[in-house]
Amino acid sequence: MKNNISNKKFTGATRYVLDNELASIVNVSMALEMPLLLKGEPGTGKTMLAHSIAESLAMPLIVLNVKSSMKLVDALYQYDTLTRLNDSRFGDSHRDVSNMEDYIKMGKIGQSFTSKQRNVLLIDEIDKADTDFQDDMLDVLDQMEFDIIEIDKTMKAVHRPVIIITSNAKKDLSDPFLGRCNFHHIAFPDPKMMRKIIGVHFPDIDSNLMENVVTTFYRVRKIDGVEKKPATRELINWIRALKSDHDFKPKTLIKGDIPYLGVLFKKSQDYERAVEATSRGHVI
Amino acid sequence: MFIDFFYSLKNAGIQVSPTSFLTLQKALNMGLINSLDEFYTSARAILVKSERYFDIYDQIFAHRFEGAELPEYQGFEIDDISRAMLDEWLKDPRTLAQALDMDEAELLQLTPDELIQYFKARLNDQKGRHYGGATWIGTDGSSPVGHSGDHPGAMRVGGVSRNQSAVKLALERRYKDYTRRGLLTQDMVGEALKRLRNMIPVGPEDRVDIDKTIYQTMKNCGEIEIVFSKSFKDRLKVILAIDNGGWSMDPYIPVVQTLFDYARDQFKDLKICYFHNTVYDVLWEDPARANKPIPVKHLAAFDPQTRLILVGDASMAPYELMAADGSIHVKERSGKPSIEQLKFLAQTFPHSVWLNPASSQMWDYTPTSTTIRRIFPMFELSLDGLEEAVRHLMAK
Repeated sequence: MKNNISNKKFTGATRYVLDNELASIVNVSMALEMPLLLKGEPGTGKTMLAHSIAESLAMPLIVLNVKSSMKLVDALYQYDTLTRLNDSRFGDSHRDVSNMEDYIKMGKIGQSFTSKQRNVLLIDEIDKADTDFQDDMLDVLDQMEFDIIEIDKTMKAVHRPVIIITSNAKKDLSDPFLGRCNFHHIAFPDPKMMRKIIGVHFPDIDSNLMENVVTTFYRVRKIDGVEKKPATRELINWIRALKSDHDFKPKTLIKGDIPYLGVLFKKSQDYERAVEATSRGHVI
Repeated sequence: MFIDFFYSLKNAGIQVSPTSFLTLQKALNMGLINSLDEFYTSARAILVKSERYFDIYDQIFAHRFEGAELPEYQGFEIDDISRAMLDEWLKDPRTLAQALDMDEAELLQLTPDELIQYFKARLNDQKGRHYGGATWIGTDGSSPVGHSGDHPGAMRVGGVSRNQSAVKLALERRYKDYTRRGLLTQDMVGEALKRLRNMIPVGPEDRVDIDKTIYQTMKNCGEIEIVFSKSFKDRLKVILAIDNGGWSMDPYIPVVQTLFDYARDQFKDLKICYFHNTVYDVLWEDPARANKPIPVKHLAAFDPQTRLILVGDASMAPYELMAADGSIHVKERSGKPSIEQLKFLAQTFPHSVWLNPASSQMWDYTPTSTTIRRIFPMFELSLDGLEEAVRHLMAK
C-alpha cells in the first residue's frame, strides 16, 4: 500500500489553489496515515481541500457532515429495526428476516471502511459534536475498525482512507483528539493568494477589475463590528454578480460606490453597517 | 534527532507529546522530509496542535535552526506596568499600602525605585509561565498565522495577595479573554458538570420506541403498531458569570478557563457574561467589559428556572460591595450598592451558586466573601466543590 501512496502525491486540483506548505502537510499526513485536522475561519477552503484531494488523487469522496445531535454509532452504522419488523410481519421482501446483517446499513464512516476502493473521508465541522463523540470517533479512526454490536461483528477498513477533519471552532479540541491528528491552520488568504484564487475561478477576468475588486474586498473586510466577514465564497459570488451587470464599471469601486453589498454581507446588521461605512465615501 | 528542539518547544509551553515526536521521527525515516522548509511545515503539523502556539513555534524554530535570538520581553513589560502603577499609586498611597500589605508610613519612606524593586520582587515570587509573544517575523516568508489574537501571555502577574483589594488603575488596562488563553486540560470539570442536565422530551415525535412498539404489536396479535416518541434533549438554561478582572483572579485563570470551555461544550443554552469583582448595574457579554452590557434588571425577564453560576474570588474592598457608588467603574452609578444587585439576582434565580476558586479555608479572611456567602451558596471551584454545587443546582 505504501508504494501506492508514494506514487500518488497531492499537487492541487483544477479549482483549488494550493500553497506549498499545505501541500507538503497533506502529503506527510497521507504517508503517515494520520488524520489531518484543518482549522481556520469560514471561507478559507477547508472543505474545498478535501474535495480537491479526492479529485486529484482520483479517489471517491465520502462526506460526513457532523451535527450536534449526532451519535458516533449514526456515523458508523444503523440497525433498521422497523424494516425488519415489517418484513417479519409481511415477509414479502427479498431480505432474509432471520439474518440480522441484512438490516444493517452503513453510515458514512462505515461506507468509507467497507468501500473496495481507497477513498477520502471528510469529517466536516467536527466541533459541532460534543467531546465524547470526537474522542470515540478518533478511537475508531485509530483502530480502523468498529464493532457492530447487534451482530457481534467487527468491521475492518479495507483500505485506510485519507481522513480530513475540519473545525471552525476558536477553542481547541480535546488533547487526546489532537494527539492523534496532524494539525494545520489555514490563514485567510493574502491579496496575492486571493488573486490566484480568483484567477482559477475566472480565467478570463480583466486585470483592472481584478485589482479593484481585490482592493475593495480587503477594504470592506476591515469594517468594524461586522459579525460575519465576507470570505472567499462571498468574493467569488460578488465578482460573478459584478460581471453579469453590464452597467458596472470597475472605476466606481475606487470611488467607494460598491454595488451588491448584499452578496458580501449576509446578516442584516452587517449589511447596514457596511452600507453606512461605505456611504461615508472614499475611506472605509 | 532534534531532541533539543523538542525540549525547547516543551519548555516554551507548547504541549508537545512524545508520541507526536516519534511520529515526526517516523516521517523523517520515511524520507518524507527533504528540506528545511518541509521540516518546518511538517514538524509544525505534527507537533503543534493549535494555531495559538504557531508564533512561539516560529520563534523557537528560528532560534534553533537559524540562530535567531529568543526575544526577551519580560523586563520591559514589567517596567512598563510597574511604572504606570507607580504613578497612580503615588497619588493614592493608602491603597498602595493596603495592596502591598505595608504600613502607610513605612511605604512613604521608600524611594520610587525601592518601591518598584519591592513590587517586582513580589511579582517574581509568583510569576508562573511566561512566554514572550508579540510578533515575530516568520522564517522563509511563511509568516505565522493567528498571532494568538492578543499577546499570548504578555505578562502574568501573580495575585497580589490573597486577601487584598484590587487597585483601580491596573485593572482598567488589562483584561482576560478566557476563550482564548491558557491550556485546556482537566477533564474533571467536565465530569462534575455532566450531572448538570435537565433532559426533557422535545421536538416532533419521530423516534421509534422499540419497546413500546413490540409491546403494542404483541397486544394487537402481531398486527404491527409503531409507537413514536419525542427525543430527549438537554434544555437546561445556564448563565455563567465570570469575574475576569483584577489580579486577584489571575492565579485561577487555568481552572476558570477549563470550566468555561467545558460549559461551552456542554450546555446548548448558555449565556456567558463577565463582571469585575462583583455585579453592579450591568453584566458584560464581551470579555473586555466595554461593548455589550446587559443591564441586571433585564435578567428578570429570563426563565427563573435558569441556573445562575457566578465565578469569582469574592475578594474586594468592602465598600465595593456595600457603598451605593462602590463600583470601580466610574460609569456605573445607579445608586444601588452591589449587595442589592446580588440579592436581586439570588431572588430572580432560585437555583444559583457562587463558585470561588480560592480555597475555602481562605474565605473567612476576606470579609466580602463572608457577606456574599450569605446571599449565594458558595462552593469551592474544585472537583468536590463543583459536585456539591451541581447537587445544589439540581435540587428541586
